[in-house]
Amino acid sequence: MPAEAAMAGTVAAVPPLAMTGIGKHFPGVIALDNVDLTLEAGKVHALMGENGAGKSTLIKILAGVYGKDAGTIRIAGRETTLSGPADALRQGIKVVFQEIALISEFTVAENIFLEEYPTGRTGSIDWRKISRDAKALFERIGFDVDTSARTGTLPISQQQMVEIARALAQEARIVVMDEPTSSLTPNEVALLFTVIRRLTSLGIAVIYVSHKLDEVFEIADTVTVLRDGRHISTKPIADHTNETLIQDMIGRQIDDLFPRSRGQASDKVALSVKGVGTEKLEDISFEVYSGEVLGFFGLMGAGRTELAKAIVGFDPIDSGTIAVGGKPLRPHDTRTAVSLGIGLLTEDRKGEGLMLELPVVYNLSLAALGSFARGGFIDERREREAAQSYVDRFRIRTPGLYQEIKNLSGGNQQKVLLARWLLKGLSVIVVDEPTRGIDVGAKSEIFALIDQLAADGHAIIMMTSEMPELLGLSDRIMVMGEGRITGSFSRDEATQEKILNAAIV
Amino acid sequence: MPPSSSLAARSGGHVTDTFAMLGRRQEIALVLSIFALIAFFSFTSEYFFTVRNLTNVLGQGSLVMIAGIGVAIVFISGEVDISVGSLQAAVAIPLIEVMNATGSLWLGLAAALLLGLIVGGINGYLSAYVGINSLIVTLGMLFILRGGVYLYTGKTAIPDDIYLESFFIIGNERFLGVVPWPAIIALVLLLIFMYVMSYRPFGRKVYAVGGNAEVARLAGFPVKRVKFICFVISGVMATISGILLASRLGSAVHLAGIGFEFQVVAAVVLGGVSLSGGIGSLLGMALGVLILAFMSNGLGMLDLPTEWQLVITGIIIIIAVAFDEMKRRRAG
Repeated sequence: MPAEAAMAGTVAAVPPLAMTGIGKHFPGVIALDNVDLTLEAGKVHALMGENGAGKSTLIKILAGVYGKDAGTIRIAGRETTLSGPADALRQGIKVVFQEIALISEFTVAENIFLEEYPTGRTGSIDWRKISRDAKALFERIGFDVDTSARTGTLPISQQQMVEIARALAQEARIVVMDEPTSSLTPNEVALLFTVIRRLTSLGIAVIYVSHKLDEVFEIADTVTVLRDGRHISTKPIADHTNETLIQDMIGRQIDDLFPRSRGQASDKVALSVKGVGTEKLEDISFEVYSGEVLGFFGLMGAGRTELAKAIVGFDPIDSGTIAVGGKPLRPHDTRTAVSLGIGLLTEDRKGEGLMLELPVVYNLSLAALGSFARGGFIDERREREAAQSYVDRFRIRTPGLYQEIKNLSGGNQQKVLLARWLLKGLSVIVVDEPTRGIDVGAKSEIFALIDQLAADGHAIIMMTSEMPELLGLSDRIMVMGEGRITGSFSRDEATQEKILNAAIV
Repeated sequence: MPPSSSLAARSGGHVTDTFAMLGRRQEIALVLSIFALIAFFSFTSEYFFTVRNLTNVLGQGSLVMIAGIGVAIVFISGEVDISVGSLQAAVAIPLIEVMNATGSLWLGLAAALLLGLIVGGINGYLSAYVGINSLIVTLGMLFILRGGVYLYTGKTAIPDDIYLESFFIIGNERFLGVVPWPAIIALVLLLIFMYVMSYRPFGRKVYAVGGNAEVARLAGFPVKRVKFICFVISGVMATISGILLASRLGSAVHLAGIGFEFQVVAAVVLGGVSLSGGIGSLLGMALGVLILAFMSNGLGMLDLPTEWQLVITGIIIIIAVAFDEMKRRRAG
């Protein structure tokens, strides 16, 4: 202890946090292996890596949610253990998780002082002080919010600010932001960055977890990359380029994000949509051919998801006709839609796609369950074999068929959902934002899969707001705005400018 | 003022704190309903709006209100307790037996309280620590206690043999000859627990645990202990209501409190306490009790058969809760 104190005296700045040799394993998985992370006061340290790289495990150890199996943690030079969430907070570490950890029924001020309500001499809560102090905290971070509002009524961006104010209330010296921008608009991101800079100016060390390159280049001072639970690199951000960061993250170069193995689309019409109108859509007509990827682009509120749901029979339509392989589709009837061979790969995997608590095999066989029935019972062996063949073919990374699907990465979950439709024998697949929440490496695999499916003669309709995948993957592109089709381009004539011009109605 | 979490809507800084607090209280709607009920029944029956009748209603509602305090707190913590009716009957046995044997009111009360603590503790232990669904735990407890009461009493009442004056007073006489003692006791308990829920850190922890247990855990709250304590409180409150009932009945009656738990739950949800936890207030619960008590009293004076009273009560509960739910959904 005295030696340490002496050392601390000689070294100019003791790092607020130094993690060395951190190891953590779960049954069958090594989540972290000998990982180091050292922070500097007043600096933003980005933590990057693909899903499954170990970022979440590392910050959960910091939050006191997980214990570590190996390594040491030093806070301001002193070796310590984090025995639980409350203990981590006491030691000045505040983690702002992606899922906002606030009580939505409480007011903003109440949430800020959730850990410890200021009380008077009698032990009664001092509500006046809470209200006053909450306002003062928001002034410190330079953000204005109604502290008496019910937290649940605020947008996510403001709830994030409440979390940050809460970190200040607890006098945190280390603030961890876990994918903070995943549901923010560009303006809100800018505001968040202003507040983060305010935090660093107060001498707080910030860990910024993200896989968005542009954000990291904008806000971070230093970046540490993890891959497969191992520490790959720690460098000043200035020493990185887009390419070197991606390379560190996925461990190889992506030469071709959009592989193209397929040839020309056939002239067989797989889906024909004529004059479809709903509350949100107006006179939509188009055809898709077998072996083709038809991309749909549109800004927020353009009606892409509404169109996707209408043509797979999920939502009712007011006018128009839809035909799959020449057979008319009765609107608002997903059952016959699936039997005709059209289905939707939803953008909301958790809400509309997966049965999170159930194993991979049940999720995969769901749509085709009837085909495995024999005399009223499921032939589980055939079901398993069919599922295994897709797991192999799509290279779905899972410890086993009976792993609960919630434990798979987003990319692998998406592959399972795709396999579900193929097992059912669909010919037309509508994919809505196929790479949402999926990291770079897995994205290219999904792209390759979509290409492969088209090559096998499936018709793919892809709704996306991501310009690169739209341009990289589509044979033809339709642009939507305010519920109408406002532009149609072949692969060769499409450019980013033309598409955006058509999208802005 | 506590920026009460129970209630939707927000307030601007330009209005006074008190007004803001009142403005977002759905309790206002409950108070208005009570006034409307009183006005309506005063019109339909000349006996309704008399001191005698109104204080009677308070007396009748007080047992539900006392047990309701505990049940509402359990609900707010995100759990359920439906064992209170059987507990009400069960605690009368040690109370009467010990009083009969020792001649001491205090020893009798202590014995009853001990049983209440044990039952609340078991409910809380199994629900919070073992993690069994509290609806199942307290449903089981409801059967166990009722069965136990039948077994012990042989399905007859155990009379209070020594007839202590002090024991008679608490359930049957009136403060200053006007307000029944049970109503006074209910009011005092209500005020104490309203203070606890709004001004003591424990109260806010109950709201936090019920509002979002995971957040509460991350904030370092002992989630299980908080829930456990809520069940114990509920056991104690049911015990107090059971003691008052035994005083009124002058014996430990094996059929006492049958269906009582549902009167309590009805009042609690009518008062705006959410079954899903984190939402509601004791004031709302108390107003819910009063509404049901005035209804049953007023409808009784209309010479409406009790069967119809039940039907009407049921309809009103469903409408009130549906209304609440719609309002909440609109508020986002």
